[in-house]
Amino acid sequence: MSTQAAGGIAVAPGAAAQSRGIDWSNVVLNAYILLFFVYLFAPLLVMSLAAFNAYDYPSVTQWRGWTLKWFDALAGDQRMIQGLLNSLVVALGVIGISLPLGLSGAFVLTRLQSRANTLLYAVLVSPLLMPGIILGISTLIFWKRFDVPGGLFLTVLAQASFIASYSMLLFMARLQRQDRDLEEAAQDLGASSLLLFRRITLPFLAPTIATAAVIAFLQSIENYNTTVFAIGGDWTLVTEIGSRFRFGLSPEINVIGVIFVAITIVAATLYVLFRKRELMAARAR
Amino acid sequence: MRDLVRSYGKTLTTIFVALVCFWVLIMIVLPQAFMIEQSLWTMQRDSALGVKIDRAYADLATMNYDLGNARDESAKTALQAKIDALQAGISDMEQRETKPHKIYGLQNYTAMSGLHFRIFVKSIVYALAVTVLALLVCYPLAFTIAKLATPQRAALLLLGLVIPYAINELLRVYAWLMILDYQGVINSALEALGLVSFQDKTWVPFLEYSGSVFVALIYAYVLFMVFPIYNTVETLDKNQLEAAEDLGGSIWRTHWRVVIPHAKPGIAVGCIMTFMLSVGSYSVPQIMTRGKSGDWFSQLIYRQFFETQSWNLGAAYAFSLVLVCLVFILLMMKLFGVGIRDIAK
Repeated sequence: MSTQAAGGIAVAPGAAAQSRGIDWSNVVLNAYILLFFVYLFAPLLVMSLAAFNAYDYPSVTQWRGWTLKWFDALAGDQRMIQGLLNSLVVALGVIGISLPLGLSGAFVLTRLQSRANTLLYAVLVSPLLMPGIILGISTLIFWKRFDVPGGLFLTVLAQASFIASYSMLLFMARLQRQDRDLEEAAQDLGASSLLLFRRITLPFLAPTIATAAVIAFLQSIENYNTTVFAIGGDWTLVTEIGSRFRFGLSPEINVIGVIFVAITIVAATLYVLFRKRELMAARAR
Repeated sequence: MRDLVRSYGKTLTTIFVALVCFWVLIMIVLPQAFMIEQSLWTMQRDSALGVKIDRAYADLATMNYDLGNARDESAKTALQAKIDALQAGISDMEQRETKPHKIYGLQNYTAMSGLHFRIFVKSIVYALAVTVLALLVCYPLAFTIAKLATPQRAALLLLGLVIPYAINELLRVYAWLMILDYQGVINSALEALGLVSFQDKTWVPFLEYSGSVFVALIYAYVLFMVFPIYNTVETLDKNQLEAAEDLGGSIWRTHWRVVIPHAKPGIAVGCIMTFMLSVGSYSVPQIMTRGKSGDWFSQLIYRQFFETQSWNLGAAYAFSLVLVCLVFILLMMKLFGVGIRDIAK
């Protein structure tokens, strides 16, 4: 690994320089990038392949023929399905809490002209800079004093504490590009502040609200390190996967992996195509 | 504040401020404060208390018997006073037994055993190594995608980075479990080369080494280094690179004097995220060791909460981890000369 890295550094700038004949630095650089992508994708390929192996233990090396039986096994796994439902409930809760909090934080921080501003900013982004397990632990300890045990509710709160920071940063970036003149003109024309908010500010933020909701959803579904401390006796899809690692492994987990990989590739490709179309439409105008 | 009211009116401003207060207090500051408070006390454990209470009851019975037999009035009152005092003492002791005293102090921080301290240091050292290696791997990659690739190729490469980034951390680590397992991909390759034999169980037990956790940590968190660096390098004006080249700057000098200074905030964010995720990761060591080989610090913390039920010690360990991350963040901010506004974007 380290020799690769050193080679990459030595060569990356070299590609900027034009050399005669075969551009060796370019060749090495391309090889480096290729190697990195092999490193990224080969493990995912191994994991996906094992989902189709008839062998009882997840493996690609002890091949016992192709099968789809692990897909059936997963479909009949009540705990996994309940876990997925719990994950969806938590994710909706997180969206419901973190978007209003993120919006409020962004409004206050963009308009508050005070020395407290930087301090408030530091506090509101601090959950992003703290290990996930800490958020789970501190939430668990805090609510224990009020006799609220770990469970889906605490998981929502613990996850929302840092996901709200993500949404806040998205909203702040958007608000910085807002044209304040429009609001002032509306105010001069006698629009009430509520009307102004509903007719100007919210529509301006609408695309960001959608993006923030999608990101909050994904972050929540994926989360393990915070959730595992706050979940108590309940479980989500991901904590259920985590607890399966302790007791015998099964290719069922590989099937979940295949599904995740497939959804991600389809979603990412659709997103890129959608963006491309948008760009072309913008250019055609 | 006046600006806020002027823009959104009193009603909305009240709602915003109330929500922010809720977030700050109930979801961030108070939970942290309670965690720190929890780490600062232990329950007083007086195991002899039960015996003491039993003995006091026996004494009480004797005194009551004496009281019944006493004839002298003054002896009776003296005895009665003794009985009352003893009874008060008993109820005090009983209260202590059901509601033990908290003793405040740093005992949870100094109680860390030699073994736990070594694990603590090991986790930090490995996280630092992950950070440095990720930086070395990612800088050339981020620079190439941002500045050398054609826009179409850059978009494709970014898509290739986003896909594994979006796939669940647990599943990505799990893939490495299959590669490093006793009869996994690497051992099978070694067997094919005749270097190990499955029958004699002479396979290399990769999963019993800390190195396998290291490999999985890098794989899990390397992409958190690429994107921040890419984002900052991407905003660098290409003319600056050409100017540096025209002025005869060597490749190294151009990077040292032009690209790296520009990418400082991205490098700082990448290092902070990679370090923080690695040092606090529960998932990676948990999956790779499966509780069979040595614990990592995050696993120790988990055990304090859910296996030995010593929340006070667990809180102290957790806060130690927060302090490590805080020190690392401050170091990075100082080293790269960036502020909190630059690092959280």
